[in-house]
Amino acid sequence: MNKKSIWSFGTREVVYSAIGAALYAVLSWATNFLQIPAAGNVAFRPAVAIPMFFGVVFGPIVGFISGFLGNIIGDLLSGYGFWPWWDLANGIMGFVAGLVVLAGLKGYKGWSNIFKAEVFIVIGVLVAAAEAAASEIWVSGVDVPTTIATNFVPTIIPNLINGLILVPILMVAYDAIASRSGR
Amino acid sequence: MLVTWQYRIRNSLMETFDPRARWIFSLIFLVSISLFWDVRFLAVFFILAFAWYASARVSFKETRRAWVLIAFILFMMIFIGTIITGGGAAGILPEKTHPVVIWNWTVPLTGWPIVFRLTYERLWFALAQMLRVLAISAIFVIIPYSMDPRLYGFTFRGMGFHDRVAYSMDLAFRYVPTLARDFSVTLDAQRARGYEIERVEGGLIAQIGKIAPLIVPVTMNSIISGEDVTNAMDLRCFGIKPRTWLEKTDFHRRDVYLMIFTGVMLIASIVLSTVFHFGVFWMPAWLIPA
Amino acid sequence: MDREPYITVDKLTFQYHSRTEPAISDISFKVYPGEVLLIAGSSGCGKTTLMRCINGLIPHTYRGDMSGEIRLLDKPVSEMAMSDLSQTVGTLLQDPERQIVGSYVRNEVAFGLENLGFSREEIIRRVDETLEYLGILHLRDRETFSISGGEKQKVALAGVLVMQPKVLLLDEPLASLDPSSAHEALKLFRDLADKGIAVVIVEHRVEDVLSINPDRVLYLDAGKQEYYGDSSGLMKVVDYHRIKLPARIIMERAKTEQVIEFKPLLSPQAGEALVKFDHVSFRYREDLPDVLHDVSFQVGKGDVIAILGHNGAGKTTLVKHALGLLKPTDGRVLLEGKDTRKVTVAQAAHTIGYVFQSPTQMLFAPSVKEELAFGPKNLRYTPDTIQKNVDWAIHTVHMEAELETPPLALSFGQQKRVSIASILSMRSRILMMDEPTAGQDYWNYNQFMDAILQMPGFDSVLFITHDVDLAVVYANRILLVFGGQIVADGSPAEVLKDKEQLRRCRVLPTTLLQVNEQYYEQTGRFLRAEELAKRI
Repeated sequence: MNKKSIWSFGTREVVYSAIGAALYAVLSWATNFLQIPAAGNVAFRPAVAIPMFFGVVFGPIVGFISGFLGNIIGDLLSGYGFWPWWDLANGIMGFVAGLVVLAGLKGYKGWSNIFKAEVFIVIGVLVAAAEAAASEIWVSGVDVPTTIATNFVPTIIPNLINGLILVPILMVAYDAIASRSGR
Repeated sequence: MLVTWQYRIRNSLMETFDPRARWIFSLIFLVSISLFWDVRFLAVFFILAFAWYASARVSFKETRRAWVLIAFILFMMIFIGTIITGGGAAGILPEKTHPVVIWNWTVPLTGWPIVFRLTYERLWFALAQMLRVLAISAIFVIIPYSMDPRLYGFTFRGMGFHDRVAYSMDLAFRYVPTLARDFSVTLDAQRARGYEIERVEGGLIAQIGKIAPLIVPVTMNSIISGEDVTNAMDLRCFGIKPRTWLEKTDFHRRDVYLMIFTGVMLIASIVLSTVFHFGVFWMPAWLIPA
Repeated sequence: MDREPYITVDKLTFQYHSRTEPAISDISFKVYPGEVLLIAGSSGCGKTTLMRCINGLIPHTYRGDMSGEIRLLDKPVSEMAMSDLSQTVGTLLQDPERQIVGSYVRNEVAFGLENLGFSREEIIRRVDETLEYLGILHLRDRETFSISGGEKQKVALAGVLVMQPKVLLLDEPLASLDPSSAHEALKLFRDLADKGIAVVIVEHRVEDVLSINPDRVLYLDAGKQEYYGDSSGLMKVVDYHRIKLPARIIMERAKTEQVIEFKPLLSPQAGEALVKFDHVSFRYREDLPDVLHDVSFQVGKGDVIAILGHNGAGKTTLVKHALGLLKPTDGRVLLEGKDTRKVTVAQAAHTIGYVFQSPTQMLFAPSVKEELAFGPKNLRYTPDTIQKNVDWAIHTVHMEAELETPPLALSFGQQKRVSIASILSMRSRILMMDEPTAGQDYWNYNQFMDAILQMPGFDSVLFITHDVDLAVVYANRILLVFGGQIVADGSPAEVLKDKEQLRRCRVLPTTLLQVNEQYYEQTGRFLRAEELAKRI
């Protein structure tokens, strides 16, 4: 395997961006829109782990497109419209998670690798929340306490919990298939 | 499980515009309206937004779910904004406001004070907020119903995105039905092993972990297939030179008019709000009690 | 021969950087225009690597050490650019589902030409021409997702042919097709060769490919070239346990060899029905046609039932009803006397264990052990029972050594066995398998079918297949399904007798069926070819 820059965007990245986005869209649609009461009420969007995981495994750009485009497509499926600043926030979550490569990720299992990924997931969720909140304040004219009450509680906390629990599960599973490619 | 796009051909006025022109109009509309808190200007934007919305010929029944969600969020914004901040509204309202009612209340045991302070300005601002959020919603809610998914890649290419990024979009749309089918197959396969997604038990981690039997196979399967997809694309020369896009839409005269209108809207908005300061909060003088 | 060969491979050896052994070594062959070369071998024999060497993925995307030479139309592959290569060699990957990147047929076929920057008019003209040639012009504006498996393959092929390649590489092109679609596909490949293309077919369903008389055959085993020559010579050298040969040839060769006898454990017994379909009809939506129509049958103790029919006949829909994954629109399904509308799928799983077609659709746990415990845990068995069941299941599939391995790290064949074991561990009374042979090579599937049908633990076994031979060898009863209806139900000898009916149902008789029918009076039941050789 030849070392590529984490910013390169070749065919492989195109494919995994597309798969990540489609997967994110379909899973959010299936678990949210169809009201499969997955994991009670806390985790109403387990799919949010997908862009973060694709970021960790395939790099920040793939993470970004998975989240950004996945959220757009998810909204297309459910008919909720098009919300650029929320799509961007989803992209940011995948992007920041993908920056974990810079912290020297050496594989996808073991406490140290998982811990590093978790740190970047937390940062990603917070940066994304800040972006979304700033946009809401600008566009909708709400103030900081209101945006915390209407956005922080219902989105940030579930995103954090889902990401922190599901991304490691996916990483460990991916570790088992990662060695099978000859590239 | 079959996914269906909300889009279908409706022979509407909106569809006679080029998708690129529609995207640009929608995004510039967002920028323009965001420069105003003056109800008089917002009303103009509001009318424009719903005229645009109506031109798509989408029935209310189809979009009801989205509007219910928007109504809920709007209600929360106004309600919580009113209760918690009592009319500050992110520094948009003037410092001196005129209360309608003020209630002071203390939370039992903790002793936290809660002040409910409803002002005339706050009520008027709520109207502005409502006009603005609904107008933006009208512009964006209509997109899934009026934009052909197969034109996304081409449209974004036409708006200046790189071929590869634009093709990611096309490819993502291609995988949506496949992955939805995979998801339902996996759901069935696990149910055949006694898995009951609807059964809620255990602590928080156990509950969220319960989605693993669904999410892991679908994700890993798609990653494994990605290797073949990459090969298939490389073998057909993806990304080695600028590609021809078979999908094609044409910019007609009406698209040019729409773009001119969009440009005028943007410039006028910038000039009115920054030079003439029309963007700030405004309230009819007769409404403010002496 | 005065013509120049299109492909020349000379002493080719390749080793991936990530591996310690060469994937292929010392391979030499030539393919001339108009010829069909069959590359035969079981999984892991190196055929995928060889194909990557020809189509340029090696060395363009996969890195490794290569020695020897490989030339296309007398130019070394390593010196050709990907854009030249793609217009010289067309590759059809094994799974058309993964090859198809366009949402609509027209976009899919146009993909390569779009990438090469051809003009729109030229692309549209060539796409239409190619679709017309393959007889699928009517599919042009359809969604690629919604067409059938055979159509998908033709569309994928169109996407390759539209680039007008001189060489066509086909990677297990029959894998996802039922026998009658496979037969059509093969005729098409021969037709393409007759038009002057050099066709290379990589396939382990050798018997099928032999029907179009490949000009040459290359037999690979563990990366080495075991045979290269005409097809008649192949029959003498290959291991017929690994590569499926025509029945008469196996019989001829088995005469002199030791044969392990297959002793089925189950035989039909009188008694209560385990599963009963009572005038079942099903449709997905009120406005759609019936997928199942007035289906009635019952499964009793000792039945080994092959549900036989072409792809899309309604077989999977049928078995999903038995477990209650689908509920009938009309009529009812009784599971041990209880209506499936009144029991949950989890409850039904106590009675029926259902192995889905692809193991990758269900494996998720971090270790094989946890994977096997998943079912019994869901069914609320006690920890002791779970332990006992897991031990029994892993022993049955002979994978004790892999208990701690992540299932996703195993080979596809091993994954299939784990997926079966993960159903076995629930100790359901009936075992139901959807296309147990899919994606498996001949030797692998014979191994586990033998194992399952010779082990105690089930009251009945059902399997879905489009492969007549699987029904001939293993079933004691066949349900022939066509158009959502059961058109025949009886012993293999009865059901397979009516050739006219089989043809109507798009089921193809095989050489094994022919010889078995010939000797039926002597044997009294259907046998595999090697056993038949010993009996007569």
